[in-house]
Amino acid sequence: MRIVIAEDTVLLREGLAGLLEDAGHEVVARVGNADALLTMVAEHQPELALVDVRMPPSYEDEGARAAYLIRQRYPATAVLVLSQHIETPHAIELLRSGGGFGYLLKDRVLDVDDFLDAVRRVAAGGSALDPEVVAARIGVGRSLPVRAGSPGHARAANTSASESSTNQRRSRGRIAGSGERETRGRS
Amino acid sequence: MLCVLAGPRNPLLVELLLMQTSVAIAVGIAVTRHRLYEIDRLINRSLVYVPLSVLLAVGYVGITLAMGVVIGRGAPWTVATATLAVALAFRPLRARVQRAVDWRFDRAKFEGLRQVRAFEELVRAGHATPESVGVVLASALGDPTATLSFWLAHDGTSADGSDRPAGIDPSANRAFTEASRRGVRLGMLEHDTRLLDHRDLLDEVLGAASLTIEIARLRVEVKTRLAEVAASRARIVEAGYEERRRLERDLHDGAQQRLVSLGLKLRRAQRSLPPEARILEAPLDDAVNEIGRAIADLRKIAAGVRPARLDEGLAAALRDLARGTPVPVDVDATVERMPAPVEAAAYFVACEALANAVKHSSASHVAITARRDDGCLILSIQDDGVGGAEPRRGSGLAGLADRVDAHGGRFSVASPAGAGTGVEVNLPCA
Repeated sequence: MRIVIAEDTVLLREGLAGLLEDAGHEVVARVGNADALLTMVAEHQPELALVDVRMPPSYEDEGARAAYLIRQRYPATAVLVLSQHIETPHAIELLRSGGGFGYLLKDRVLDVDDFLDAVRRVAAGGSALDPEVVAARIGVGRSLPVRAGSPGHARAANTSASESSTNQRRSRGRIAGSGERETRGRS
Repeated sequence: MLCVLAGPRNPLLVELLLMQTSVAIAVGIAVTRHRLYEIDRLINRSLVYVPLSVLLAVGYVGITLAMGVVIGRGAPWTVATATLAVALAFRPLRARVQRAVDWRFDRAKFEGLRQVRAFEELVRAGHATPESVGVVLASALGDPTATLSFWLAHDGTSADGSDRPAGIDPSANRAFTEASRRGVRLGMLEHDTRLLDHRDLLDEVLGAASLTIEIARLRVEVKTRLAEVAASRARIVEAGYEERRRLERDLHDGAQQRLVSLGLKLRRAQRSLPPEARILEAPLDDAVNEIGRAIADLRKIAAGVRPARLDEGLAAALRDLARGTPVPVDVDATVERMPAPVEAAAYFVACEALANAVKHSSASHVAITARRDDGCLILSIQDDGVGGAEPRRGSGLAGLADRVDAHGGRFSVASPAGAGTGVEVNLPCA
């Protein structure tokens, strides 16, 4: 799969690129800001853009805004947003743009297999939402369907999301996500 | 002309005549134009003291005679009584005569002083504030363009920010006269240069108003300094919030990123291990898990320093706060956005109050409401615990009061024993 990485911390960017290349993906561009990201996506039309929320110059949410633009302009490019902390409005807003989107806390990449799973799933038109985000969104003691934007679902994989919603500490549970649209469509 | 007339006959006489005339003319000009010998004051004094002396003398003689008739002539205390009566009558009589003379010969000054005294009475009765003395001066001096600015001793400027010396600005026909009391600078009166022709009026009116001016100056100075203190306190609190934000950024974008990078490196090393080195799998797993926990800790610390969700508004941050609290918390918060420092202040108040509810009041339920009303954010935190909380100095509650104060807000605690604790905060949003 062809991937563009936008992450301003060089160490982390190279680490992510190495990880993805180890897994057999092709990292076609590595950039450190949102403008360069948009340029590279336009140029390479990758299957996935891996985007850090905070990037230069203002370190606010330019990554999330770029992600939104990519979803609008290049529907073929899925976006996986990485954030240092939970920022639900962005996540929810982006989820509304349909499948092919994921939103994860950065340290999820340390659970390499889960992370690579999420990458594949998002690129295939599914979604991935960090359990922390889900918990923050729905508060304590209530559960909501995790998936949004992806039609047809009901997979046991989401249980972790509602578990974490009742948990006040940070969940180390699996990444919540919906199944691949294509796979389901065919089966 | 004199030269032409007297020239051929006696040059010495002409010169002498000329000299004498010019001296007389010069003195005349100096007296009338430039107030040499303070001539008007001199005349005024004479006008006062001549009748005053006559009145006193008449009084003295009158008393002596009357007493002489009544108790016999030559009694030693006839003289004593008359002297005492005259001495006692001197001051009030002088004031009266002075007023009469002013009224008769210097109507402007009489009227000006009367206005100043009337204003003094109003101030004393609490019907006027001393600060409006400037307006009264303008009217008393008959110069509607006159303005008084008070001298602020602590920063060496006038209350209007200028620090003009006394003097004249001939280009604009403006003059600056210092108002002082016992050599202490009180303020500067800016007025029309024409008023300088009535120096006596100016001095007398300023002198009569000097106590009121001093009171006004002190009030203005206190008010200015209080405003400065409040502003600087607000700046310090805001700088504190800004520092927290910077620290939070540093934790997230610096330390946390490095740890993720480090963990990622270990993971890659782990995944590239040859089959015979599988023994390293477990310790590497442990190391990465440890890093994960460190990251989670950092995130918690950063959230305590300043929750990133405060960027999304108070409601989001309060809900997050409630989520991390071990007792059920109901949050009913407006989603309206308010200035960042106000939101931050409200958030930290809620944090402290919630921590108190959990730690000290054995509450089983807490309700937080935040609403906007009349330009203010009203935040209330009510628990159902044991109550009896007292905001002692140095306690968390007192710290909250200080924080709210710094924003110009109000803070109240109601904590009757056995009926829970309610903290209500009112923060102006302007």
